[in-house]
Amino acid sequence: MAQQGPSHPLKTSLPETYAAVNAQQPPPSYSYPTQEEQDRYLEGRPGATQQHLEVALEHAQQIQSQKDAEDVILNRILELLELPSSQTADPAAPSREDTVKLKYSLAPFRPDDYDNLILERNFEDLCGGPRGGFQFKYGPKGSGPGGRGRSVDIVSQDRVEKWCSDACAERALWIRVQLSEKPVWERRAGDTRGTSILLLEEARAKRLKAPAATSSVSSVVDDLQSMGLGNDRSRELALERGDTSLIRPDGRVNVDIRENPHGSQQVAGAPQMRPEDANGGSIEGYVPRERRDVDQDGDIDLLDQI
Amino acid sequence: MDGDSAHSMEAEREMTRLWRTFRTVYELLADRGYEVSDNELSLPLEDFRAKYADPLGYPDRTKMKIQARPTDTMKMKYTPLPSKANPNPQPDCGTIYVDFCPDSSAVGTKQVRAFNHLVDENNFHTGIFITQTPISPSAVRLLSGVPGRICEHFQEQDLLVNITRHELVPKHVLLSPEEKGKLLERYRLKESQLPRIQISDPVARYLGLRRGQVVKIIRKSETAGRYASYRWVI
Repeated sequence: MAQQGPSHPLKTSLPETYAAVNAQQPPPSYSYPTQEEQDRYLEGRPGATQQHLEVALEHAQQIQSQKDAEDVILNRILELLELPSSQTADPAAPSREDTVKLKYSLAPFRPDDYDNLILERNFEDLCGGPRGGFQFKYGPKGSGPGGRGRSVDIVSQDRVEKWCSDACAERALWIRVQLSEKPVWERRAGDTRGTSILLLEEARAKRLKAPAATSSVSSVVDDLQSMGLGNDRSRELALERGDTSLIRPDGRVNVDIRENPHGSQQVAGAPQMRPEDANGGSIEGYVPRERRDVDQDGDIDLLDQI
Repeated sequence: MDGDSAHSMEAEREMTRLWRTFRTVYELLADRGYEVSDNELSLPLEDFRAKYADPLGYPDRTKMKIQARPTDTMKMKYTPLPSKANPNPQPDCGTIYVDFCPDSSAVGTKQVRAFNHLVDENNFHTGIFITQTPISPSAVRLLSGVPGRICEHFQEQDLLVNITRHELVPKHVLLSPEEKGKLLERYRLKESQLPRIQISDPVARYLGLRRGQVVKIIRKSETAGRYASYRWVI
């Protein structure tokens, strides 16, 4: 009978096993040199070894991935310039597609990249309006020195015109503080910062849904527990810091004594008198000298008889 | 009348400033080795005003577009040495295009994208984008990201005076690949053993140097007369 499927089921690292999966992924922006190319490169260089070449290639790949990430961010900035997708969109309630796109696009951003995006958006919206220079910003009545008149702030025009309203500024800065400072090529797999961005309205809705905070101890305990301080993740972090022992969260080795069920079945009996034990016998094969004397001479020591 | 005269004064000022920038651009092109006529190099202010002023007397930057072709000496300098893989190398230089951005502020990706598109569409080898204000960081990245083309950016005020004409700036001469090979052979050097010059150095930017080239820097020395040193562009 003909066998179906791979003939060696254990050799899953064979390239053909993953050919279908690899074909789906986009090709990398660089091409790793084949062994032939590497050999040809090494031929002309007597001082270089295969290891040198591998180290160089490894570093080159790292640099390339950084460049790729920066290109991705630049493309995302250009894409985000086109938001919102409709002119009539309400900034407080953006459409679902826009929200999804925004959250997806902002994932690799750092706060600096976000600032660049804001700058670009300002450039686009203003279209050659008067920029630069300063503007007087008057406070409410009675905010001046001594409670009389109005306070006057001199603000650069760029800062005044950066946002269309205070609400907009709040929304934008709310997103900015959620972004991760780490560049995307240094982030690790478990790093959730920057990937789960909430819009200001979503965050407010979430906060409202949550039960109102009370001052009772139990609710504080519940809150603390819901923060997940004792879960696996924080234990892992504590381990990394060297705070706790691997065996017990308390920091002590837990000693747990249990009887061996197999060894305790036979009960040892009392010792029995054997004939060679009459004279005290030998101690581990050694016969004490005095008794040896009796055996050899037949004399009886006087002292023993007293 | 007072307002009018103030207006024309300002227009005059801007015109003069731009004329100086414009002249420096021609000097830059000539120093890099492009074909520039003597008339263009010594363009008087009156002619510039007649050619590029709008009805109000302000300069019209949309008219100010420059194209130049490389001379034979420049082509020679930019031709790599023939190798086994490439026995018949072509010069790595071509027509240059200079564009003055008319927007007085807020130059971002929009303008740079239009410029990149223009350079790509007309198949220019190099493009120089000149703006009045600094451009945004993303625009800088976008400008350097055109595959196969070289796009550079200058601010108008950077080119107000020609820095290479300053008495403290020594003469920088680009070496051809052949001259570079001879130099390295003469001193038995690897190129990495040469002193270096950054690609962002003002003079390197002025000359449009590329990574891996070598410049000869000739300075006057009180004790040694003329002193030549060589720097590897990095």
